[in-house]
Amino acid sequence: MKKFFALLLALVMMSACAMAETVNQKDEAVLNIFSWEGYIDYSTVIQPFEEQTGIKVNYATFASNEEMYEKLSAVNGGDYDIILASDYILNTTREAGLMQKFDPEIVSNFGNLNPDFTHQYFDPDSEYVVPYVSGIPLIVYDPSVVDVEIKGFSDLWNPALKDSIGLIDDARVTIGMVLLSMGQSMNTTDDAVLAEAAEKLAALKDNIHVLEYENLHNYLVSGDVSVAYTFTPFVALALDANPDLAVVWPEEGLGFGIDGCFIPVNAPHAKNANLFLEFLLRPEIAAVCAEWQYYCSPNAAAMDVISDWYKENPVFSGIYDRIGDAEYVKNLSSADEQKFQDIWTTFKLSL
Amino acid sequence: MARKNGLRAGEVRRSALFTLPMALLAVLLVALPLIYVLGTSLVESGQSFSFGAAFTLDNYRRLLRADYLMVFLGSLKLAFLTTLVSLLVGYPFAYCMARAGRKLKSLLMMLVIIPFWTSALVRIYGWKILLQANGPVNAVLRGLGLIEKNIKFLGSYGSVLLAMVYCMISFMILPCHSAVDKLDLTLVEAARDLGSKPWRAFLDVTLPLTMPGILAGCVLVFVPSVGMFYLSDIMGGGLVLVGNLIRDQLLKVRDWNTGSAMSMVLIVITAGIYLIYRRSGGDDLGVF
Repeated sequence: MKKFFALLLALVMMSACAMAETVNQKDEAVLNIFSWEGYIDYSTVIQPFEEQTGIKVNYATFASNEEMYEKLSAVNGGDYDIILASDYILNTTREAGLMQKFDPEIVSNFGNLNPDFTHQYFDPDSEYVVPYVSGIPLIVYDPSVVDVEIKGFSDLWNPALKDSIGLIDDARVTIGMVLLSMGQSMNTTDDAVLAEAAEKLAALKDNIHVLEYENLHNYLVSGDVSVAYTFTPFVALALDANPDLAVVWPEEGLGFGIDGCFIPVNAPHAKNANLFLEFLLRPEIAAVCAEWQYYCSPNAAAMDVISDWYKENPVFSGIYDRIGDAEYVKNLSSADEQKFQDIWTTFKLSL
Repeated sequence: MARKNGLRAGEVRRSALFTLPMALLAVLLVALPLIYVLGTSLVESGQSFSFGAAFTLDNYRRLLRADYLMVFLGSLKLAFLTTLVSLLVGYPFAYCMARAGRKLKSLLMMLVIIPFWTSALVRIYGWKILLQANGPVNAVLRGLGLIEKNIKFLGSYGSVLLAMVYCMISFMILPCHSAVDKLDLTLVEAARDLGSKPWRAFLDVTLPLTMPGILAGCVLVFVPSVGMFYLSDIMGGGLVLVGNLIRDQLLKVRDWNTGSAMSMVLIVITAGIYLIYRRSGGDDLGVF
């Protein structure tokens, strides 16, 4: 009988939670944020916002952009007030009609943004998305064990780097890197070009020691690899741990990405969401976000108040000179994504 | 029909009542999602499983590719090696544990169980630190003069296998231990009295009598190992296992139908292994 009561209790608690949720939504002073775990700091961003506005912030997390999109579609663009996600999924979300325009009257400081980072393909008229941070995968290497000078992607094929490179375990990013080294677009779907890229990738096989998504800086610091191609925050972390590492802005071109915030079409507290966007765009808040996230800041006004260590770090500041060489990894059709996955599967099987 | 398994009719009804919530949960959380996956794998690409959807076997036909076959074989190979190493290390450990004195036995048992109190992810990161090029393992090897240059363990097939064995071995030790524990020692003594050498007595008496535990351990290690792919990813192994294939099919290619077909094949393989185990007289593992 005990088990029965326990079950009953669990059911009552579950329905109580569900009821609490509905009450919450009617409450005006609430903002529901949906993003990755730890992507907006509590003590330096959310807490000050709560104190200044009296709005209670709820922070729900997703593990991947795709999961966010599935959930947002399932609730028909409701439930959440602010969503922070990556460029390609922002584009999909806007095209699916799941975004609403922010209110330029409230978000009056949109002009704080560096114009290089606005009017992007996922929001051509800058009506929906407020860019939050930006990143560029870079090559970083240890000159004390690498005898050759690395200037760009092509140098990764140098036989002197045998069994010493760590690459990102992602079909689009890494095949994209190969495509850039060939002077091609990362988003090409041309079969002949992709076949050539697959061949060139296969030739890189002997130089690769590790494929991993987001821990390559640790391999570099521990000496397991001497060259890594990895995302902005990890390049910066590697440099923190070992300042003698060399950072390379590849001469052939750059991969590039922006994570941005938007308001879903049926957001229950759209006004609060607009207030939050205005808050994020303030120079001192944008500066804190960039310093804390270890990404490049798209906020030009923030550069006046940002810490010196941030400004002096080439990982964060280099993008402003090279923005013209940067290319997004865009979403392709399922059939085209499959082409990239097939090349990647064949390559990994050959390792 | 007053009695069934020694219970009176009223008791049977009452016990059925108690299993009802479990049955309900099983239908709700296991059967229905599985039916949905099966359904999704049988409708045309891009469609969701609903009434009037066009049924097709195309998603399964799409799996008939040499590279996918290699991926499935690779996953089976890793699971097989994981099981083999777990058995070779785990059985002697379980044997000694069962034969040890009370105090030592409870200490050994604690050593097996305590790691479960920490997340597997954290423990695997611990291994990464131990094995990294400038880590403690290399330091010890260098200190002993066994190596001159640091060995890059991470990213190798061996490091993936080590992580797999480390995570799965307790599922081998526990059933083996209870089999050895239950073994009637007088049978081994009888064999020795009749002139058997120790290893002969082990092969003729101990091994056959503990075989149910060994088989149960092998199934408990092999089946989850086939679908486990995150350890390879964490150790930087760069392997493509079935799990990677399914994840990428769902999240990157966004073809849920083919991804579901892959999942069904994996489920059929693991269910098949379990069925063979039961057919050959294996015990109910209490987990299915």
